[in-house]
Amino acid sequence: MNWRKLRTLFLWAFALSLIPATRYYQIDVPLLHFLRGHHVDPLSLHLAGEFVENNLGTEQNSDGSVTVRMIAQQYLFIPHCIVVPVGVPVHLRITSADAVHSLTFNGTDYAVKVLPGTVSQTQLQFPKAGDYKTVCREFCGAGHYAMRSEVKVVPRDQFPALQPGERGTCAAQ
Amino acid sequence: MLRNNRSASAANLPRPKAALTLGFTLLVTLAACALLLQAGASPPDRVPSNVAWTPETIAAASSGDAFRGLLLAKRCGHCHGDEGFSARASTPNLAGLNKLAIWKQLEDFRTQKRLSHAMDPIAASLSTRDEAEVVAYFSRLPVFTDPQDNRAFPQSRPDQGHAAIATHLVSFGDGERGIPPCQACHGPVAYRPGVPSLMTQNTDYVLIQLEAFANGTRTNDINEPMRTIAALLTEEERKALAEYYGSGLGLQSGSSTSPK
Repeated sequence: MNWRKLRTLFLWAFALSLIPATRYYQIDVPLLHFLRGHHVDPLSLHLAGEFVENNLGTEQNSDGSVTVRMIAQQYLFIPHCIVVPVGVPVHLRITSADAVHSLTFNGTDYAVKVLPGTVSQTQLQFPKAGDYKTVCREFCGAGHYAMRSEVKVVPRDQFPALQPGERGTCAAQ
Repeated sequence: MLRNNRSASAANLPRPKAALTLGFTLLVTLAACALLLQAGASPPDRVPSNVAWTPETIAAASSGDAFRGLLLAKRCGHCHGDEGFSARASTPNLAGLNKLAIWKQLEDFRTQKRLSHAMDPIAASLSTRDEAEVVAYFSRLPVFTDPQDNRAFPQSRPDQGHAAIATHLVSFGDGERGIPPCQACHGPVAYRPGVPSLMTQNTDYVLIQLEAFANGTRTNDINEPMRTIAALLTEEERKALAEYYGSGLGLQSGSSTSPK
């Protein structure tokens, strides 16, 4: 039994395991999606498919939860202003049109890595109402430091009743 | 009534009463199906532009012959100027602009994703190949270091306040509202594919386009960046930016013009 080797291994394992503790709580490692074969074409998101313009935003699901679809691109999150109800599960589906971004919400510890070519899917919940700024936390180019958007979390009675084909958004356009 | 010898079927259709009932049921079922399908049918997708920057598209748009483009562009000089600098404030300068940027706009005019009374018939008469040649020509027209040489007519500099506002937006954007710096996409720091340089552009044209993006008249930006940004800017900021670019302030602070 080579105790020295075992000790070295143990120390390396311990040191490397500290790295995740220093990061934001990263959910849904999108790299795995590639292995499972889930691909979207980042260049043609606007032409057809799930991430066309009129399908972005908040969709009401029949079980009370909402699904939010977003695109991250240099240097904006689209739609720029999202509205979700407080306290319900939010299924977030986001993909990138170009570089690697990371969607984080100020005031929470959620961070969602967004890769081009695959869809990051995760579930969030906002227990408190209010306006949350979203910030990109993965360097994506010259405009990275100004890449922000907004999430408005509203009480359920203020959340608009959405039709099946309608998507909620509070963007200026 | 004909009797079918092999008839083991329970339908026995030749009877008029049964036929009517069956027909009626079928009609009601079809109507119900049509209604249900219509209720679930989603509205058509809203596509901003038919252009996608795949390697094939980029290759097709960048491989035009500039000499053929010169011949095709003879009639463009009426509005856009013989040297690519337009004498009309509301018509854009095209000299030295990135090939992909002009090509995308021509394609959008041709496919009616961007509407313009002047450009629609012209773009309709050009094929994709012709467009590549025309843009190759315009991208090779020279631009100069002195801003006044890049305009067919002098355009006034912004006042102190507007210059400060515009310089800040161009260099840093606004993190509070989430507006990225203009220079990260429009240059000189970086040029995104299909995004035009603004440093040699006319003031009024920039202002008209920013306002068109802001009020939703122009919608051909892929994934809505310009519509979002223009709507977030105030009217004064849009004016300041138009004056900044139109007077060539951007050119003086930048080190190079856009990549061809």
